[in-house]
Amino acid sequence: MIHERPGMFQPALVGGIAAGVLTAVPFVNCFCCLWIIGGAVLSAYLFNKRSAVALTPGDGAVLGILTGIVAAVTDSIVSLPFESLNQEFVQRFMDQFSQFVEEMPAGWERWLDQRAGPMSPAWFLLGLLSSAVIYAAFGALGGLIGASIVGGKKSPPLQGPPDEASQNPGHRQP
Amino acid sequence: MPEESILTEDREGRGSIQRTLLLVFIGITAACLIWLGGMLLAPYLGSRSSPWAGPVYFIYKPVCHQLASRSLTCFGQPLAVCARCTGIYLGFLAGLGIYPFIRGWRRPPLPSGRVFVLISSPIVLDAAANLLGLWDTSNAVRLVTGIAWGALLPFYFIAGIADLIISRKKRLKSARNCP
Repeated sequence: MIHERPGMFQPALVGGIAAGVLTAVPFVNCFCCLWIIGGAVLSAYLFNKRSAVALTPGDGAVLGILTGIVAAVTDSIVSLPFESLNQEFVQRFMDQFSQFVEEMPAGWERWLDQRAGPMSPAWFLLGLLSSAVIYAAFGALGGLIGASIVGGKKSPPLQGPPDEASQNPGHRQP
Repeated sequence: MPEESILTEDREGRGSIQRTLLLVFIGITAACLIWLGGMLLAPYLGSRSSPWAGPVYFIYKPVCHQLASRSLTCFGQPLAVCARCTGIYLGFLAGLGIYPFIRGWRRPPLPSGRVFVLISSPIVLDAAANLLGLWDTSNAVRLVTGIAWGALLPFYFIAGIADLIISRKKRLKSARNCP
């Protein structure tokens, strides 16, 4: 019997948008990278709900990477209206930073001025690219955690030679 | 198929799994060291008044609030991430250090959900209590709860990435074998 796997894009979209929005909104974003991990766990849960077969760690990682990329795009877009608040945050950071140093690094004001103006497409793309790479890594981690939590409740997929991991449904420890 | 060839293939398969796991381990360790190096590079550049300090801090901004009061200092300046995040990344490195002694190079299972909940509870409780204003922990406590949680993460990451590569290899191999 061959089980059909549902598409990964829809659960990744839902988990990624949720994680991206929560990461972008000021104050709520204080949980740092945990929202991305949480979003990927949500994606794994949604995927597993629709799937007839168990979510493998490999699938969890792919799902998490997709969730991270969607979260990076969402975060970059949703962050735009909060840019002025972020500027205040950067200014506050610099004020606190200045307490630690006698002399501020050269070029800091110029760098802040560049960031304070309307965001250039280059800065936007650079931020998006770095976020996508970092969030994809955190997303993969979340997808794997999701696979370990929700992945072992169905029959494992029918492929691969028998080994320790595939003999153990959901590849979890007993 | 004769029994001998099954055993030979099985041994070859195991060797391939071990090689994949070792490569994944080396790759993740290298990435972790680069990431930790960047965390130290930011305050170092700041202490030298380098204009590159800002962009390096900017790289870590998407994953941390970077509040200076909640950050450890190095070279007289705050690290690129807060004390809790520093703990998570240091714990990740410590987890990588103990991984080969606990799991070896066999294809490993993921840690169970129960283990995850148990090890996550201190960091979740502390973070939630800080957020709700129930108590305010020191940076040392944030660092320790971060280390405890971070040490668990390589056991997911190595197992998952290796599983992804091994299953893709198997699919490619079976697709090639099919007429």
